[in-house]
Amino acid sequence: MEIKQTALAGTLESSDIQITLSQGSNGIQIELDSSVEALYGPQIKQVITTTLQAAGIDNTQVKAVDKGALDCVIKARTLAAAQRALGTVDEPNWEVL
Amino acid sequence: MQIREYNLRLPRYRKRWQAFMEHNGIHEFGQAELAPIEKTYVWEEDGELAATGSIAGKVLKYVAVCEKFKDGGALFNQVVSHLVNEEASRGRFHLLVFTKPKYVKSFGYVGFKPLAQTDQGAFLESGTPGVSDYLANLPHFERGKTAAIVMNANPFTKGHRALVEKASAENDQVYLFVVQADRSVFTFAERFDLVKQGVSDLTNVVVVPGGDYMVSSATFPAYFLKSDQEIGAYQAELDATIFRDSIAKPLHITARYLGEEPTSKTTAAYNAALSAVLAPQVAVKIIPRHTEAGEIVSATTVRQAILAGDQDQLARLLPPTTLTFVKENFADLQARIQKKGSK
Amino acid sequence: MEERLRRTMMFVPGNNAGMVKDAGIYGADSIMFDLEDSVSMDQKDAARMLVYEALQTQDYGDAELVVRVNGIDTPYFKNDVFAMVKAGIQVVRLPKVESAQMMKDLVAVVEEAEKKFNIPVGTTHVMAAIESARGVLKALEIAESTDRMIGLALSAEDYTTDMKTHRYPDGAELEFARNMILHAARAAGIAAFDTVFTNMNDVEGFQRETEHIHQLGFDGKSLVNPRQIDWVNKVYEPTKKEIENALDVEAAIEEANAKGSGVISMNGQMVDRPVVLRAQRVLRLAKASGLIDEDGEYIEE
Repeated sequence: MEIKQTALAGTLESSDIQITLSQGSNGIQIELDSSVEALYGPQIKQVITTTLQAAGIDNTQVKAVDKGALDCVIKARTLAAAQRALGTVDEPNWEVL
Repeated sequence: MQIREYNLRLPRYRKRWQAFMEHNGIHEFGQAELAPIEKTYVWEEDGELAATGSIAGKVLKYVAVCEKFKDGGALFNQVVSHLVNEEASRGRFHLLVFTKPKYVKSFGYVGFKPLAQTDQGAFLESGTPGVSDYLANLPHFERGKTAAIVMNANPFTKGHRALVEKASAENDQVYLFVVQADRSVFTFAERFDLVKQGVSDLTNVVVVPGGDYMVSSATFPAYFLKSDQEIGAYQAELDATIFRDSIAKPLHITARYLGEEPTSKTTAAYNAALSAVLAPQVAVKIIPRHTEAGEIVSATTVRQAILAGDQDQLARLLPPTTLTFVKENFADLQARIQKKGSK
Repeated sequence: MEERLRRTMMFVPGNNAGMVKDAGIYGADSIMFDLEDSVSMDQKDAARMLVYEALQTQDYGDAELVVRVNGIDTPYFKNDVFAMVKAGIQVVRLPKVESAQMMKDLVAVVEEAEKKFNIPVGTTHVMAAIESARGVLKALEIAESTDRMIGLALSAEDYTTDMKTHRYPDGAELEFARNMILHAARAAGIAAFDTVFTNMNDVEGFQRETEHIHQLGFDGKSLVNPRQIDWVNKVYEPTKKEIENALDVEAAIEEANAKGSGVISMNGQMVDRPVVLRAQRVLRLAKASGLIDEDGEYIEE
């Protein structure tokens, strides 16, 4: 699926992650800003990538500012951003959840 | 902690807010700073102000957290986060902050990257599209001598043309950045178009939008500085630093051409400050003002001539492309100049 | 309805990742994730998603998990209910309830969701927040509206506004509503939750109010701050005398069972059902407060 508009979800507060999705044509490109990047960077990116793919998004630029989010939070924020970017907030894809 | 919106137009809120800002070391509340503010949010704890932040276009402004509630930065992050979400809901994902150097770290923790930093101030951005996206959209030159000109071109005159010709002749390629901020009589789209038309025969010149990075003095907030003198010097220094580090370096620009300013002291001082920062990485070439029949050509003179309806003078000062546009839109331009002043 | 302790129902703002993550560590009897008032309109989707994912993965221990969905007349209501039912929430709390019909409407959507996501119909419980004069006067009808009902909660902020007053330290303005809701809940055999107390600085006022609603007979109180959990639990601690009496009742039941007798007697008196239920409740409270050990013996200080 194609991203219709740039979209952001999540906050910059502790235990959260802020995800911004914008149009891209070169697969899923992730720019991650995290204080635990060295340790958990690959895992965070993996969760974002898997979640986006499940939501049917294969091309997008991702900016992520992580404040120590658990995987479930990363997934939730990525999905929220994806729904906003795809313009499907009001009709969630229950099969993806 | 409760979040509330403050309408600064209501005196009781304005008073409370301003007292809080002053208590936190911010003292500049000029109209130029306050007028662009769209929304102001405050965080209250039992009726007491704990923090505040405002949005003005894509700029986050007047962010302050009371010492008492600093608490490891949690509230600061909450404030910035709220502002970022408010901007996003307005469709703005690329954000800018001008702040004191000591807050660069705090903004860094929430994803803001410094584009330039001087002793007095710093300019940061976050989100998308950022400076790397901006640069990726420009043509890149691998070899040869590359120069740059930054112009507002309000509108493009024979003086501008002479400056571009000189740079074009002395270099292998020239970036011509047109200031993008829409604060002039001629809109950005008009100015950009007239520059393009005016240099279309110079094949080694590329006309590009200045993005958020060619900052004209008008767009610099300076509310956290004390005096006007500081403001001028600070603006020039920050502007030059952004250009040197974030633009010239990645694009291999080695020279910047400026028009000499015999009449305006401010601009002359600005040019001097620019030279001080850019050299030696970027050579600054100040070119004497172009004259037509003994008259210095400037965009200000052009706008005055439009207002006065002096067709002969316009024909002397403008290249044919700009002249045609001015003639076609004469009444409209006169009305705009009357409304704005000849800015 | 399953009997359980509901002394504390802690509010957790649904879009706050840190609080959603940590909600299980404070020992609240019930955790209420809020998708309604604490979430701004443009974050409803994000909060719903956050609570949904947290419910899938986080361990909230023995706490009863409740979610306050957005009102039945909002555009968020149906998606809230669907997502929460799919996530396996135990209780859906509907705000601003004024009639039995509203609860029936909620149940219809809950049932639709249960069927869609292959969850046995009837798994998900519901409760009602009473926030208006009409809601208070209809309390019994609401309490008896569906057999999925687990409780009624008073929400004082909107209620006092509807009554053209506001909250006072002595709570006189809430007395009628508290008694109505409590009576309706007791008559229907469900739980009654008192409203939140928001002034965190007035510890004494909080204690006074908690003692008062404990005396009236409320199951417990809604809370906005984890610090309040211990304060409530302290008020709900049974006395040594109550515990010993309850242990005696328990022993009498065991004795009756051992004898195969259907009649429970103690000190020559027949022990009837309300006494048995109260004894069981006291023992649950005593265990939760750490006042009796695993063998059911009173722990001397």
